[in-house]
Formats: sequence, structure tokens, C-alpha cells
Amino acid sequence: MLWEKKRLWSPPAQLKTSYDAVIIGGGLHGLATAYFLARNHGMRRVAVIEKRYIGFGGAGRNTAIVRANQRTQENLPLYKEALDLWPVLTSELDFNLMFYNCGILNLAHSEAALKAMRLQVATAQFHGVESRLVDPQECKELVPALDISDRPRYPIYGGMYHPPGGIVRHDALVWGLAKGAAKHGIHIHQGTEVTGIGVENEKIVFVDTDKGKIHTPCVLNAAGAYAAAVSYQMLRIRLPISVLTIQAMVTQPLKPLLDHVVSSGSYHCYANQTLKGEIATGAHMDPWPNYTTQNTAYYIKHQAEALTELMPCLKGIKFMRIWGGLADMTPDMAPILDGNNPVKGYFMDCGWGYFGFKSSTVTGKYMAQFMATGECPEILKPFTLRRFEQHRLMGETAALVNYSPDN
Amino acid sequence: MALTITCPICGRRNGYEFRFGGEDRGPRPDEEGLTPETWCDYAHMNNCVASIQKEWWYHRDGCGSWFTIYRDTRINLEVSSPNLD
Repeated sequence: MLWEKKRLWSPPAQLKTSYDAVIIGGGLHGLATAYFLARNHGMRRVAVIEKRYIGFGGAGRNTAIVRANQRTQENLPLYKEALDLWPVLTSELDFNLMFYNCGILNLAHSEAALKAMRLQVATAQFHGVESRLVDPQECKELVPALDISDRPRYPIYGGMYHPPGGIVRHDALVWGLAKGAAKHGIHIHQGTEVTGIGVENEKIVFVDTDKGKIHTPCVLNAAGAYAAAVSYQMLRIRLPISVLTIQAMVTQPLKPLLDHVVSSGSYHCYANQTLKGEIATGAHMDPWPNYTTQNTAYYIKHQAEALTELMPCLKGIKFMRIWGGLADMTPDMAPILDGNNPVKGYFMDCGWGYFGFKSSTVTGKYMAQFMATGECPEILKPFTLRRFEQHRLMGETAALVNYSPDN
Repeated sequence: MALTITCPICGRRNGYEFRFGGEDRGPRPDEEGLTPETWCDYAHMNNCVASIQKEWWYHRDGCGSWFTIYRDTRINLEVSSPNLD
């Protein structure tokens, strides 16, 4: 029947007492890993344990921008593959992820920022990703609403244009992956809290939850912003992570005026127009760690100032909705992807900061491979937790966001 | 959300006057016999507790003092003691 409502997936009846793998966190990384464990490696006795509901955390709070113009050789290939995966997953999951590759324009407001972009563009081009420098005139042609005069406090010097980047509907990805994972027999347990992880002889043996004990040899910590707290509280493994609230907001709906993602490191502002016409825009992070996801008047004001400086035609537009999410920041802006070290059977997929959305599917694919085979795939090797004690921090921090007009 | 922080010299002030200085990790480890693991633990690693933590602050836009306070990371408010009431 045309109007018959059908659930995308059905929750499993009850928690089993043993699974081949337990994934902590029903966010995008957890769901993607579960999906690829079943699809690529035939591991179907897998449970995803989610304390609240799937998509509650970062998965449903990010601003849905996807791109592959990162700075370093280690990071970029991962994001490139992620970008290539969207159309593939859309058909594979049989779910419209609403991938809109509208292109991303990063603005430079100083000579130093342009120099930094030159390096970023070179990395992208070396890896076969389309990305190029543009002058202020071309910025204006791409986004006519931009003010390229010398009126703003930080005038536009040029930009970096990355045509294959764009937007993916984040809720659709949550639902699509849950549907795909459940179809392959994965158990997704919502409203279930992990309360402890059992280790014997340096090996994972069980996971305790508020609904009962699960015997398992394999655990993935994909708890997003809560991963570091879980790791310390349950295993006494400390991680180099700070959890910061990042805020985002949408304006009232407008007629189409912005058909690219536009971002500016100096103004700490990125914006795109959603299909509903709202300008979705994101802001600074709170300068102190906290778990609140609260919003502050301080940043609403900042965001209004930044948006209207960049695009004066937005003056007088009202913010309609505002929310906050948590970002687990590492010192080098790169994630921690590791496993079997120091505890056998314990895997980590955390420390993504605000890059967790765009990387979720591809990371799930490779983490699944890591968990199923026990061999760390080449592409994940640079992200070991050990890099911090080896002083091999990655150079992603030097990307644009740190370049201000003062450099 | 109004975070206020009590500076030992200036008293209770707006949180945006201050710079967060990290979780309190105790004294700096001795140079003698220092291993990369110990140094990494001191320099980078955090507990990230969702509870009350002792932490460092710097009164950047004020008197320039460095000091520690207790703050509950779940409500983002300064509290007077490390113990949960």
C-alpha cells in the first residue's frame, strides 16, 4: 500500500549474553563500523550499545559539511575516500543521503592565510582531489553575496575553492546506516548504558551494561565526545583529548542566495544554505572543556557579526534555532584510531574533534577491517595513540583556522 | 550560561576574562629518569571526567595570576570543593 508506514529497522528483543563484538556508541562511527563488520567481514553477532538513541550526539549535531581538502598526507587520503563513498553508499543502503556536492569556498584574509592555502591546495592536487586558489573577484563570482571591498575588518584576499565538497544530510546517514546494519543482523540496543569493561590478562572479556553482562572478546570505543571519559573511567587509559562544546545555528528560511559552502578561519564562521532555505552556520568552540552542549549569548552575537561582515545582505535576518554539540579535540587535530594496544581486543575510534561526520563511513570501513582481521590497515597506521609519546604529532593544526590577519 | 571564575586577587569575574590552563596533573615530573611515556602523560593526557575536576586558569585580561579552581564539567560552574554534595 502506498501510505503504509514501515519501520526502517526493528530493535532487537533483548540483549544477548554474548556477542563477537560490542560497539560502544550508536553514532555514525559505531553504526558504520557495525555495518561494515557485517557486510564486508561476515561478523553478524555484533551489538551496538547506545546510552540514549542513535544520532543523539555529534551525529545529529554537526553542520553536515563534507570535504577532502585537509593539509597533511596522512589525513587527506581518508577524507578523499570518504567523499567518494557518498554516492556508493546512497545506492548500497538504498537510502537517499542527499549528498549535495555544491563546492566549498574557504576565504583567506591575509597573505599568510593564502600561503597556507597554497600548501593545502598542493596536498589536495597531489592526491588527485580538485582544489585551487581563487582571487577575490572569483570569490565574488562564486558567492555574489560576499563583500570583497576593503570595508570589512578583515578584507578578503582570496580563497581556496574545493568543488567536490558539499553537504550530506546527517540524519539520513544515521537512519541509512542503522537500516543497513540491522538488515545484516546487527543488534542496535538503544537506551542501554555501558557501565564497565572487563579485562583479564590484558584481554577484553566482557562488557557490563545496565541491562546485563555481555561476554565478548572485542570492544570498540566509538563513544564520540564521551570516549575519553569512558576510556579513563572504565580502563584507566588516559587520552590526549579535551572535550569542548561547539555551537551551531540556523537563520529563518530565505530565498536561495548561497549555493556553495563558504567558510572563513579568521571570522571563525562557516555557512551554507540548506534545502529549506535556512542559512546553517557554525561558530567557535567554548574555550574551556565541558559536557553541557549549552549555547551562549556571546557566540550568537559573534556569529551575527561575522555573518553580516562577510555577507552584508544578511543584516536583520533572525536566528531561528541554535544548538550545541561536543567535539573531542586532540592536540594535533587528528583522530586516535588504534587497537589491541595496550589491551587485546580493545579498539579506539575517537578524538575526531569536529571532523567526525565527514570521516565516519570510511573510518567505519577500515576499523571493521582492523577488528575483523586484527591487522591495522595501512591507512589507519599513522593515527596510533603512540604518536604522542613519540612526538610525531600531525601537522593538521597548522591548517587555516589558526591563520589570522595577525600572522 | 554564565561561567564566572574566582580569581584569588580580583575576585569573582566573567569567565571570558580567563584562559583555561588544563586539568591539574600534579607536579612536573623529574628530569632524571624521565621516559617518553611519563612526559607524554604529563604533557598531553587528560581524564576528561564528567564531574568535578581541579584545573588551572590564567587571568589573561586581568591580573595575570595562575591558579586552580574546582569546576563541574557537567554544568560548567565553579564549585567550592572537589567533593560531590
